[in-house]
Amino acid sequence: MYRKQIRRRRTILVALIITSLVLLSAHFSEAESGPLHAIQRGVATVLSPLESVASEALKPARDLVDWFDETFEARGENDQLREDLAAARAELAQAQDAVGQNEELQKMLDLNDKIELAGFDPAYKPVAARIINRSPSVINATLGVNAGSGDGVEEDDPVISGDGLVGRVAEVTASTAQVQLITDPRNAVSARVLPDGPQGIVQPVAGDPDDLRLDFITNEQQVEEGQMLVTAGWSNDEISSAYPYGIPIGEITETTLGEQDFQRVTVQPYVDMRELQDVQVLTGGPARPGVSG
Amino acid sequence: MIVTWQIGVRLALIVLLAVVVQVSFLSYLSILGATPDALPAVIAVIGLLGGAVTGAVAGFATGLLVDSLLLQTLGVSSLVLLSVGYLAGRYREQFEIDSPMAPALLAGGLTLLATAGFIGLQLMLGVEATVSLLVVREILIKALLGFLMAFPLYPLIRFALRPALVLEEPPTRRRIFRNRRRPVRRRRLRRASTEISRLNNAGARRPSDSASQGGVA
Repeated sequence: MYRKQIRRRRTILVALIITSLVLLSAHFSEAESGPLHAIQRGVATVLSPLESVASEALKPARDLVDWFDETFEARGENDQLREDLAAARAELAQAQDAVGQNEELQKMLDLNDKIELAGFDPAYKPVAARIINRSPSVINATLGVNAGSGDGVEEDDPVISGDGLVGRVAEVTASTAQVQLITDPRNAVSARVLPDGPQGIVQPVAGDPDDLRLDFITNEQQVEEGQMLVTAGWSNDEISSAYPYGIPIGEITETTLGEQDFQRVTVQPYVDMRELQDVQVLTGGPARPGVSG
Repeated sequence: MIVTWQIGVRLALIVLLAVVVQVSFLSYLSILGATPDALPAVIAVIGLLGGAVTGAVAGFATGLLVDSLLLQTLGVSSLVLLSVGYLAGRYREQFEIDSPMAPALLAGGLTLLATAGFIGLQLMLGVEATVSLLVVREILIKALLGFLMAFPLYPLIRFALRPALVLEEPPTRRRIFRNRRRPVRRRRLRRASTEISRLNNAGARRPSDSASQGGVA
């Protein structure tokens, strides 16, 4: 009797492991239109109303936890902010002088048109979406939104918030989409340093959701702390970046000359991914070679 | 655990609730710089209460649901969580859970294993991540949070699955009291039996006494 139980237990365990491995390899090698992806999207679509309701119902609890978190953090930051305020007052006078000069530079570089492309280019149709789920994993920095192919959302569509670039659409169902954040290690964004700096690739560092890294900036190229980064919108005839030119990404916080030819440039993203509640998916837009969206 | 269809429904509801709360609430939080992950702790508790097979099946189903909801590669979370459920179940089958810390320690340890396993599987699948040392910190904090979450989760899930549990009744006050009274009852019994034997002896002696008296006479 006992041996029979052991045999049964082992059979079930082996069957489950084999099923998992088969699912894993089949799903990994299957095309997006394959049956496993279709079933997965079906399950996600069926459960999305439940997620939306749960997300709304649990919002007060989330806000409460955030409030405690922020209060705790704010107490620690108070002293630092006082020092920053004193420094900021000293800089204000200099800044006011710089305003006029800055406006002229803005006109020269035509930044307004470029940076606000996402909001004003009529080719893009922004679709507002609410966040309904998040991945708890440090490797999969993704979040789910309540807009899908029924709203015109397609894979690789850029996703933004009021502060800047959030990520791109990685998977779409009829009523939801999964957004791969720029802090997801599988994501890389071609970026340009403003006003006339070099181009590089912005990549995250797994386990550090607050900072990004700007790669491929040589030691000779001039970049400084405080400079702004926007999407480069890089493209040739065959492949393109998923992001159009000019979406703000973040600001350079640290630069260190590398032992090899490249600098180590740290970037702080403008968007606080943990605080996000609503985003905009930029649907439509001009055709970009090699981008499905 | 005796898994009837009613208990199966309860298990399914626990799993669904845990997954929804995880992706809609806990994943939004940042505690000590890490996102809490309750699913390994929930599966560890189910494994501890239900045994290896129940734990493995619950882990597999939970993983499948999470991967479907988050549109991740199917099978990754299933593989990780079924291992968690199986190991927790095997622990229960091999050892006595005599300390209230045991479920929490096991949940913490298995959360650590699950987080590391998930990251390892993702890296094996070709995620080219530059891994910072902060990942280690995140894994350790998640394990700590899993340990802490097990304290409310264990009694809650135990309560939900109570009808199916075949466990020894824990020593309640009443039983302890009853045990204390047992010697008193024994003493009374002993006293009563001594009294009976004394009376018997007395009764038996009487005719022999008269016989002996008669003999003398």
